[in-house]
Amino acid sequence: MDHHGEEEDPKEYRWETGYEKTWEAIKEDDDGLLDGAIADIIQKAKRKRQAQKTMQNKLGMMRHLYLMLDCSESMSVPDLKPTRLLCTLKLLEKFIEEFFDQNPISQMGLIVLKGKRAEKVTELTGTAKLHLKALDGLHKINLVGEPSLQNGLDLALKTLKVVPSHASREVLIIMGSLTTCDPIDINITIDALKQESIRCSVISLSAEIHVCRHLTQQTGGTYGAVLDDSHYRDQLLSHVDPPPAAQTQENSLIKMGFPHARQDEGKEKDPPLSMCMCHIENADEPSKITSAGFHCPQCHSKYCELPVECQTCGLTLVSAPHLARSYHHLFPVQNFTELVYNGQAAICYACQKPLTEATDKNVYRCEACSQIFCLDCDIFIHETLHTCVGCVTIPGAAAQVHARKPQAPPMGMLLGSSLGQRF
Amino acid sequence: MEKAAAENDDSGSVSLLVIVLDTNPSQRIVRQNPDNLSQCLDATVAFGNAHLMQKAQNKLAVISCHHHATDFLYPMPVKQLEVRQVDGQYEVFSLVEKTVKQRLSHIITNAPKITQPNESLLAGSMSMALCYVARMQRNAQPGVKIHSRILVLTGSNECASQYMTYMNVFFTAQKLGIVIDVCALDKSLSLLQQGCDITGGQYLRLTQLDGLLQYLLWVFLPDPKTRQMLVLPPPTKVDYRAACFCHREMIDIGYVCSVCLSIFCKFSPICTTCHTVFKVPGPLPPKPKKKKKV
Amino acid sequence: MTDYKASSSSSKHGSVSSSMPSSLLVAKPANLQCKDFQEYLRTRSPDTLEKLYNYPTICLAVYRELPEIARQFVIRILFVEQPVPQAVVASWGSQYYAKEQASSTNILTELNVWRTTTIPGGLSAWELCPTFKKNLKIALLGGGKPWSMSHTLEKDSKPRDIAFLDQYAMSRWRCVLHYMVGTGGANKGQGSEVISPDAVRILLHANLMKRDETGITITRQGFQFLLLDTQSQVWHFMLMYLDTCEERGLSLPECLSMLFQLSFSTLGRDYSSEGMNPKMLAFLQHLREFGLVFQRKRKEGRFYPTRLALNVTNKAATVPAVVLEDEKSQESGYIVVETNYRVYAYTDSPLQVAVLGLFTELLYRFPNLVVGVLTRDSVRQALRGGITADQIISYLEQYSHPNMKLTESAIKSKSPLPPTVVDQIKLWELERNRFTYTEGVVYNQFLSQADFITLRDYAQSINVLVWQNERTRTMVVTKNGHDDVKRFWKKFSKNAS
Repeated sequence: MDHHGEEEDPKEYRWETGYEKTWEAIKEDDDGLLDGAIADIIQKAKRKRQAQKTMQNKLGMMRHLYLMLDCSESMSVPDLKPTRLLCTLKLLEKFIEEFFDQNPISQMGLIVLKGKRAEKVTELTGTAKLHLKALDGLHKINLVGEPSLQNGLDLALKTLKVVPSHASREVLIIMGSLTTCDPIDINITIDALKQESIRCSVISLSAEIHVCRHLTQQTGGTYGAVLDDSHYRDQLLSHVDPPPAAQTQENSLIKMGFPHARQDEGKEKDPPLSMCMCHIENADEPSKITSAGFHCPQCHSKYCELPVECQTCGLTLVSAPHLARSYHHLFPVQNFTELVYNGQAAICYACQKPLTEATDKNVYRCEACSQIFCLDCDIFIHETLHTCVGCVTIPGAAAQVHARKPQAPPMGMLLGSSLGQRF
Repeated sequence: MEKAAAENDDSGSVSLLVIVLDTNPSQRIVRQNPDNLSQCLDATVAFGNAHLMQKAQNKLAVISCHHHATDFLYPMPVKQLEVRQVDGQYEVFSLVEKTVKQRLSHIITNAPKITQPNESLLAGSMSMALCYVARMQRNAQPGVKIHSRILVLTGSNECASQYMTYMNVFFTAQKLGIVIDVCALDKSLSLLQQGCDITGGQYLRLTQLDGLLQYLLWVFLPDPKTRQMLVLPPPTKVDYRAACFCHREMIDIGYVCSVCLSIFCKFSPICTTCHTVFKVPGPLPPKPKKKKKV
Repeated sequence: MTDYKASSSSSKHGSVSSSMPSSLLVAKPANLQCKDFQEYLRTRSPDTLEKLYNYPTICLAVYRELPEIARQFVIRILFVEQPVPQAVVASWGSQYYAKEQASSTNILTELNVWRTTTIPGGLSAWELCPTFKKNLKIALLGGGKPWSMSHTLEKDSKPRDIAFLDQYAMSRWRCVLHYMVGTGGANKGQGSEVISPDAVRILLHANLMKRDETGITITRQGFQFLLLDTQSQVWHFMLMYLDTCEERGLSLPECLSMLFQLSFSTLGRDYSSEGMNPKMLAFLQHLREFGLVFQRKRKEGRFYPTRLALNVTNKAATVPAVVLEDEKSQESGYIVVETNYRVYAYTDSPLQVAVLGLFTELLYRFPNLVVGVLTRDSVRQALRGGITADQIISYLEQYSHPNMKLTESAIKSKSPLPPTVVDQIKLWELERNRFTYTEGVVYNQFLSQADFITLRDYAQSINVLVWQNERTRTMVVTKNGHDDVKRFWKKFSKNAS
């Protein structure tokens, strides 16, 4: 076992860093209350996160990620509250939602390690709902025995091997145990992973483990041991953004299918009943025979949800909105200018909140449309909406915005051609 | 007591309806007959009041999307109008009616003259509605759940240039659990239809204005929870196909640039939008062979 | 057969033997019956309902009380001129919710909102009660006469703000509550307030207080009443008032319509009493006494409705769900309950302390804080006094401190109280209810197994069988079912012989 982070960052130890006077940031207001000061700090933190986000990410288009969760006895340790497992499940919920929000055409699967065995809880799929349901089921899982890293990696390897190579293949391991119990030499598995260029990252909940670090170094992943739950959260959420390895990946044109619900033109009658391919091998939830669904344009297999990879012909099936969901990375809203409020506007342009000197110390102005927004709207616009409300409601400004963004062609559901100028 | 518990369940929820009304004079139905606008307005107000009538806790906001600007018709941002009853109408309902009409006439009289037909920036108005909803949700009392929905009432054609904004609006609504309902009064609107599909809302296209209020009450008044209990028009199939950037034609199978997500109908060695050079020349096999890190 | 007769006469009360005297077992103590508006309406006669529906306010209130589906049905046929065939209405609802739909249909019929007619072709159809239809339309769209209190007024030179009205209303209402607690004895003088004989009469009528040799004392229902939230208290009290209003010479529809007008008014705005008849003015004075309206002087033609009057039937609506930046929020919660059963109440009101003392053991008193603990003994004492566990829990929830509502468990479970405490209070109640008592008649000494089985199956088929044992050929039927079973037996045995 190595000491945590020794060889990379000599200043990792807390006692070696400078003396942080954290309390000096907090000042009492006139009434002796701290609320205002704390709200200020929160506001600043929110803005800071936002400012960092504007750095242009290259899109990791398709990620295939296996989440490997240790469910051995060591996960019942209560050093993370209430226990390691419950804390993990709570954070994973958030992680999964964020993951699919940020990586709309990616897929994820869940593997559980317990009692020296690896068990696939969910297959690689692009729907968050399925994973969240599976996570819910893990709350009552019996935490027994030791984990087997190798069995888990082998299982992930088996599936990831067949994933088309233009996509990034990743494994994220959450390890509570300090040991792993493997059938044979794990280095063989690690070499195989390296061969298939599967990137393995580990988050350790206890201490750093040599074999894990070795694994991450060999496969180009990251390694982290958590300090506490908030550090854990940051570690986990750092895996939401596409990894740097995906950026060095070769660019390619990926063949994709755009299925549409089949309509026989001119005919009123329903399309024929058929079974979907995604549930056909699923014993718990056998596929229902319905007329609705998405048909692969190449081989006409039917699927009940998108995005999915056709099991028959291997074509990636997506819908236009799935691609559009990623565009906000390409066209972020420019940061607003922070101004001290002195009556620039009576109300926030977006949410109609009355602005007063007492409640709104700062207001924010979009430089393109010169409208004034409140702090909450500033954050909402940049973090969630990705559209400046002023720029898209005022005709002059709107015309400019629309000129640089993809457009739908006259028929309505297409992506336009004016992407170019930005690159 | 059991009953009380069930009611508690219900009492913690508030239904917020934001109506986005297209008041742009360039709409075909308004150009043909200006009275149509006031007919729409009357129906909207009556519908909004019917929503308020359902429960004392229900909330309403009305936004007008005019050719030059988007404005709130109700409620007033700071101070509400002083309204006294003039007939048997419930005071709150009169307030809605008066406020909406007064604000709209103010907007119309102050609007610049239009020289040529102008598009309605509906996507923008919807994004403003989302900000309003987000504010309401921020301000909700602890333990109160706000169920919000946005109803768009428009006779405009949708404009392709707003595609990005529409998509951002739809995904934000989906993330916040806001249902988008659309009532198209003229042409069928395929983009907004996608929005309804994504957020689980109802899409309805009317070809005439007669009985508008009845249609609204029938299809859009029940909140999403109640809709399950009623038989409503089944969702129409939405076409989510994409069009290629090169010829703007609808395609079933296409090639997507891994950097900028541009869509092409044929393989080309260079992406025409972001000028990325693709490493594998020639047509891509369905399953490209491993090419990395050999 | 004679044998059977003998056995039937040897019937005894109580299916489960117990050491307690049987009369106590059977007569369950009457609890406070709180009707909501819908239940209240259902007990009115169709004629009364018809009269009530002459007021748009009442129609609006009735409409809001309807179940979700019923409201949709009403609004769908509100603008339809002809009756709508019943089959058509039935097809509106999804078949998965047939039960809800059936109950909604029943309620609409019971409340006389709609009725069956036949349309040409012999189909039965629904038709909205014309009075209801007309007046609901007026409330929604306008038309008709303005409500009686909306005469225009000159601007009040000294308008009253909402904070003032809230304070005024609560102080008036507390007078009534103080009177209920205070007359019992200890803190006479400063604590007990004087209320009008009319109010006392209502309390007596409602059985919240009773007259005995020592004077007027609070009843068990009275204690239960104290535990209700203010909104329910006001509503229950007003219902009792309406019960007695005819005796006073007031007309029920007028009073009810007035009450709902107040309930639909805007807080912080003044209204005019001009043009009201003397009876309504008298009613207004009563409302003023209870704190539902504020009026500076008896003769002044201007009054302000208070929060007590707003949304009188719907307690959820009284607290604003969304507090906008420009509105002031006002907190009502003052109780903190911890998982160790400690109760901290930030209050100095003797009334609140007294109510809390009903079911907690008070430990310390401070100028603005009372600390108590929920113990088995203190809760059981309350339970013995006729207060139910649910009432205790809902009281604690109702007045729980706003910070309690922000804890994670509160957000998940909707109850701000620690689940352990809630469960334990319920368990304490359950442990008192190990017996259920049913009055019944024993049938035994049957001559043949066949006789027994026939009679037993009959009793079961009409749902009156309480208990049976085939081996000893003994069965118990409920008291109500006794006559039926006896008649059946006589007929059966006659046929058999």
